[in-house]
Amino acid sequence: MLNTKDINQAVSKKVSIKSRLSFLNNHITYLILVIIVVGIVTTILNPNFLTLRNFFNVMQQFSILGILTMCMSLLMISGGLDISIGNMAGLGAMIFARMLLAGISIWISVIVVLIVGTVLGFINGLIVAKSKVTPLIITMGMNYVFLGVAFILAGGRPQTISDQFEFLGGAKIANIPISMLILLAVLLFAYFLRKYTKYGRRLNAIGGNVQAAYFSGINVDLHIISIYALSGLIVGLAALVLVSRFGMVRADTGSDYALQALAAAIIGGIPLQGGKGSVVGAFFGVLLIGILYNAMNIIGVSSYEQTVILGAIIVFATVIGNIGKMKR
Amino acid sequence: MDNMESNLLEKEKILIVKNITKVFPGVKALSDFNFDLYKGEVHCLIGENGAGKSTFIKILSGAFEPSQGEFFINGEEHKYFTPQMARKLGIQTVYQEDILVPCISAAENIFLGSETNNQKYFINYKKIFKDAEKIAKQLGVYIKVDEIYEKLSPSDQQFVKILKALAQKPKILILDEPTQAFNVKDVNLIIEMVKKISQEGVSIIYIAHNLDEIIEVADRITVLRDGAKINTHTKSFETFSADKLAKEMIGRPIDLFYKKKESLVGQDVFEVRGLKLEQSSKEVSFKVKEGEILGVAGLKGAGSAEIARAIFSVKKKYGGKIFYKGKDITPSNPIESVKAGIALITENKKVEGLFMDMPVSHNITIVGLDNIGRFFIRLSKERKISNSYVGKFNIKTSSLNKEVKFLSGGNQQKVVLAKWLFKNIDILIVEEPTHGIDVNAKAEIYEFFCEFTASGKSIIMISSEMMELISLSDRIIVIRNFEISRELIKGEINEENILSGFMGGK
Repeated sequence: MLNTKDINQAVSKKVSIKSRLSFLNNHITYLILVIIVVGIVTTILNPNFLTLRNFFNVMQQFSILGILTMCMSLLMISGGLDISIGNMAGLGAMIFARMLLAGISIWISVIVVLIVGTVLGFINGLIVAKSKVTPLIITMGMNYVFLGVAFILAGGRPQTISDQFEFLGGAKIANIPISMLILLAVLLFAYFLRKYTKYGRRLNAIGGNVQAAYFSGINVDLHIISIYALSGLIVGLAALVLVSRFGMVRADTGSDYALQALAAAIIGGIPLQGGKGSVVGAFFGVLLIGILYNAMNIIGVSSYEQTVILGAIIVFATVIGNIGKMKR
Repeated sequence: MDNMESNLLEKEKILIVKNITKVFPGVKALSDFNFDLYKGEVHCLIGENGAGKSTFIKILSGAFEPSQGEFFINGEEHKYFTPQMARKLGIQTVYQEDILVPCISAAENIFLGSETNNQKYFINYKKIFKDAEKIAKQLGVYIKVDEIYEKLSPSDQQFVKILKALAQKPKILILDEPTQAFNVKDVNLIIEMVKKISQEGVSIIYIAHNLDEIIEVADRITVLRDGAKINTHTKSFETFSADKLAKEMIGRPIDLFYKKKESLVGQDVFEVRGLKLEQSSKEVSFKVKEGEILGVAGLKGAGSAEIARAIFSVKKKYGGKIFYKGKDITPSNPIESVKAGIALITENKKVEGLFMDMPVSHNITIVGLDNIGRFFIRLSKERKISNSYVGKFNIKTSSLNKEVKFLSGGNQQKVVLAKWLFKNIDILIVEEPTHGIDVNAKAEIYEFFCEFTASGKSIIMISSEMMELISLSDRIIVIRNFEISRELIKGEINEENILSGFMGGK
């Protein structure tokens, strides 16, 4: 008879080999494989796809969605959700454009937008934490509030700032678009926060089991409010990239982003109920969406058809993600 | 063995299980398991957590597919079941946490899915209430069948679960720890009910941890250890002894009573003064000494759980102060309680203690994160520390990264203990520390309690298990109707005194 120690050792040896191969059983690996397959197919159809320039192009185009997806992922891992981030970014962009047009200096405007984002996020977090109402409903309501305020500020006209603030959205350093660098910086920050900080660990615990977190002496409300505020700050950053990229702001500029960010996070392996998943996975979720759009453009799929295909992919990805769990 | 078989030969075997093996990655949960079931018998399965009982019943009910082996039901051979097949063959399983629909009545739950008693599209409430009441009465239980399920007491909910399984007219009924969360009186009701069901020709596979209960209810007992069958006993005075069965389960002799090492108990350090649980309730005051285990005895609903929650401030208190070493530390929320060095381990560890989707190591360090870095977590230090706790508590897990939901109940409880020990708390309030945990893990947890108090720290142990209270406590307070009905010091601690405290005697 083996005693338990021997068994434990034997088991742990087996597992260490297994854990080295565990990347094969990993959601991110699948995402990368899918991206590669899409890449190969598209390159065969049109060799222009596989160029560094095109890749940077994709990254630039999807940097705003990428940054917002990082907000969404951090919130979801903490058990939250914010579907107002799109219109929050739109409102931030609108405020920025109005300030510039009123002749206020760029730096003051930048700081104001970042503060506005933080405050709006804080308000969302405060209501969610204190009311204990599901964040979906709260942020859906706030979504309309932000959109409405942006409409009021716009006064019915798109606000054009033309080339006053091109740096974040259009400029490049050594051919690398700055918006891509910002996205990567946000990704790195989110990854680090999630993995290496006590704050991130506690957020993850709250997302996993609020009640146990509360019973463990974690200040649940403080963590929830602060992560919404932090997310708001990053949304402010996304708003700046948004203005900079388009040079023109409409009130509903940001409307589509929130659900796309949610989709990207889910494709990236974060379940809707939250508490699990990684920001890196969500990043690859964005990358997959970006590359698919780009590939469809290159192949010449019309934008209406693109919308259909994107929707189908979201359903497909979530169904696939769930099949693994249904196995016994 | 042959002799016994021949005695029972006239009885019909309705299930024969041959050489069932189930392998999970890294673990053989069940190996070459043989089992048979006669018509109308109560066959109990006993064994420690992780011995393979749950695996076996999950295979029978179709939740797992066995790696090897076959079944014979009514003479027909099967390699595996799907849940639908199991149901069709007349196998019904009542799991511990099998939750019914909470917001409809007990009777509706009972007949949910069994079309015989429902009309096709509409529900005839009068009829199902009457039918439900009838079958409940036949089995000697009285529940309000028209009551909303979630408003029923835990024991009534358990009855409803069993009645629901019976409404499917099963040939084999599997009961997985049906008496967990029960007090003594209700356990007897379940035992009576099970006996009646078996007399009607239904065969029952019954799993429980309490040996006295098993001896009372069983016709035969099969002992499992480490995934293998150790023995099957037929009812007789000699074989049905708790001591012998426990020995077989563990593989070595044990004492059912834990023998506590004598420890030095110091001065009063912790004091609860004038605690009020309700606006109108009486005040509760008591003191705890350094290095003491204070037992808190009380029947379910007597108020001991509420007292623990009020001290830790996860429940509102209507007055009262808490002192540690003479200083007022009265917390107003659990954040302050933890800061003041108080820990609460509730009975409901899956909801209130553990992060099931997080790895073992993260669960261990979550309260004491400050010990492994200022702002940032030093992952290597975290691994090292959690590894030492896994070793110290003998937590059986294949890796530190394993999610806690994959651990057995006993190991989960050890993770909760490790989590608080890592935080370095002074006062541990623990509710039903060994409920539903196997004998071996129990002894390890008791050992830990003694070590903890030997270092000058104190434990407030709320328990409804007599043996645990008597063998561990340095002093006992008995709670009745939300107040202290009796205090027992060393020498007065015995079952009679505790029981008389329950009844309100002095």
